[in-house]
Amino acid sequence: MTTKLRFLVAAGAALFALAIGVQTAGAQALDRILKDKKIRITAEVTSPPFGILDKDNKPTGSEIETARQLAKDLGVELELVQVTGPQRIPALQSDRADLAISSLSITTERAKSVWFSSPHGALSIVIGAGKNVNIKSAADLAGKKIGMTRATLEEQVVPKVAPPGTNIVFFDEHSATQQALLSGQVDAIGGAAFLINELAKRNPDKGIESKFTVMTAFYGIAVKPGNYDLLQWVNTWVFVNKQNGVLAKIYKEHTGVDLVDLPAL
Amino acid sequence: MTYVFQFGIVFDRFPELLEGALLTIRLAAMALVLGLIVAVTCAYLRMSGPKPLRVLVGAYVEGIRNTPFLVQLYIIFFSLPGMGIRMDANQAALVGMVINFGAYATEIVRAGVQSVPAGQIEVGLALGLKRLQIYRFIVLFPAIKAVFPALASQFILLLLGSSVVSAISANELTAIANTLQSTTFRAFEVYIVVTLMYLAIAVAFRGLFAALYWCVFVRGRER
Repeated sequence: MTTKLRFLVAAGAALFALAIGVQTAGAQALDRILKDKKIRITAEVTSPPFGILDKDNKPTGSEIETARQLAKDLGVELELVQVTGPQRIPALQSDRADLAISSLSITTERAKSVWFSSPHGALSIVIGAGKNVNIKSAADLAGKKIGMTRATLEEQVVPKVAPPGTNIVFFDEHSATQQALLSGQVDAIGGAAFLINELAKRNPDKGIESKFTVMTAFYGIAVKPGNYDLLQWVNTWVFVNKQNGVLAKIYKEHTGVDLVDLPAL
Repeated sequence: MTYVFQFGIVFDRFPELLEGALLTIRLAAMALVLGLIVAVTCAYLRMSGPKPLRVLVGAYVEGIRNTPFLVQLYIIFFSLPGMGIRMDANQAALVGMVINFGAYATEIVRAGVQSVPAGQIEVGLALGLKRLQIYRFIVLFPAIKAVFPALASQFILLLLGSSVVSAISANELTAIANTLQSTTFRAFEVYIVVTLMYLAIAVAFRGLFAALYWCVFVRGRER
C-alpha cells in the first residue's frame, strides 16, 4: 500500500513538474518577443490582395498591414519572414516565425499542426455573373455553364451546392476563368468575392455582380502549439481590433469589399 | 518521409480518364484528317497558286509556326467571341489543332512535293495534263510517301500537344487528370497513369501509321 502511495505521489510530482515546464516554456514566447523588441511574422507576398509587393518591391496587402498593426500595438519591431503558401505552417514549426498572418484558413486539419486565434478575416466564395443572367440561388445554376479555377477553394465548395444539370468547366488560371466570363464562354464563374468585385470594377460595361455567397472561409493568426501566452495576447488583440473597426478598415482598404461579421473561435 | 502510393483513388475514377482519353484520340484523329486537307491545299497554293494566295498561305504558315499554340487557342476561344464567332471549348480546341497542324503539315507536304524529280512533272506536261491534274496524279503520291515519317511524327506531336487545350476547359485527358489531381491530391498516381495512357495512345498510333505506310506505299509495289 505504501509503495503504491509513494508511486502516486512521485507520479503526481512528475506531472506537476512537467506542467510547470510546459508552462514556463510556453510563457517564454511572449516574454522573449518583448525582451528582444522584435516579432517575426510570416509574409506571403504572392497572394493579392492579402500579400503583394508594391511598386517599390515592398510587401503590402491586408495581411501584411495587419502584421504591421499588430507589431505596433505590441510595441516591438516587425520582422517579415517571406514564405510561400505551403511554407506558412512549416515556418512556425521550424521557429523561423512567431506568428503566421498569411490568410491561413481555419481548418481542423491544420489545427493538428498549429494553434489558431479567433478569425481576423474572411474570404467569401461567390457566384459572379452579368446583370442579365438570372441566378439568385444555387438552384438557378442548373442548365448554366459555370467556370472556375482548379485547385482553389471554389473548386471544392461550388460543385457541392450545384444542382444536377449544372455544367461546371475548369481552367488552370484565374485569368482564364475571368476571361471566359468576359468573352461569354461561360454564364457565370465561381470565385473569391474580392476577385469578382475587382473584375466588375475593371469591366464596368459587362455589369458583373455577385449573385450569391456559396460559403465563407475564415482565416486566423496561427502560433506554434504550446505558445499559450502569445496566443492569448493575439486573441485579445483580435478582439480589440474587431471592436474598434481597425481590422475591417484594413480589409476594406485592400480587398475592396466589406469584412463580414467575424465569429469567435 | 516515405511516399505511400495509392492508386486505388485513380482506378476508382478510371472511367473519367478513359472518357478524356477518348476525346483526346477523337480530337487528334479529326485534326489529322482536316489538317491534312488544309496542308495539301495550302502546299499546292503556296507553290503554284496565284501570287496573292501564295503570300496569304505563306503568312498563315509562318504566323502559326512562329507563335505559341496556347496563345492561338486563347485567341480562338477568348477573342473570336468578341467578333461574333462563338465555339464551345472542344470545338475551339479542334479548330486550333487543325489550324496548327495544317501549318506544320503544309511545310512538310511542300518539302515532299519539291523532292519529286522535275522530269516526272515534265512527263505530265508532255502528256497534256493540267497543273492540278499533275499535282493530283503524279506529284502528290510520291510526295506523301517521301515525307510520311515526318508527317507521322508531326501528328504524334499534335497528339501530345493536345494536352494544352485543357487551358481553355476542353475536357480531354490532361484536363480530367488536372481535375482529379486537385481533388484527390494524389498527383504522382494520377500523372503516372496519365503518362502511361498517353504513351499507349502514341505507340498505338505509331503502329497504325506503320501499317498504313505498308498497305499504301509498299504492298504490291515492290519492284
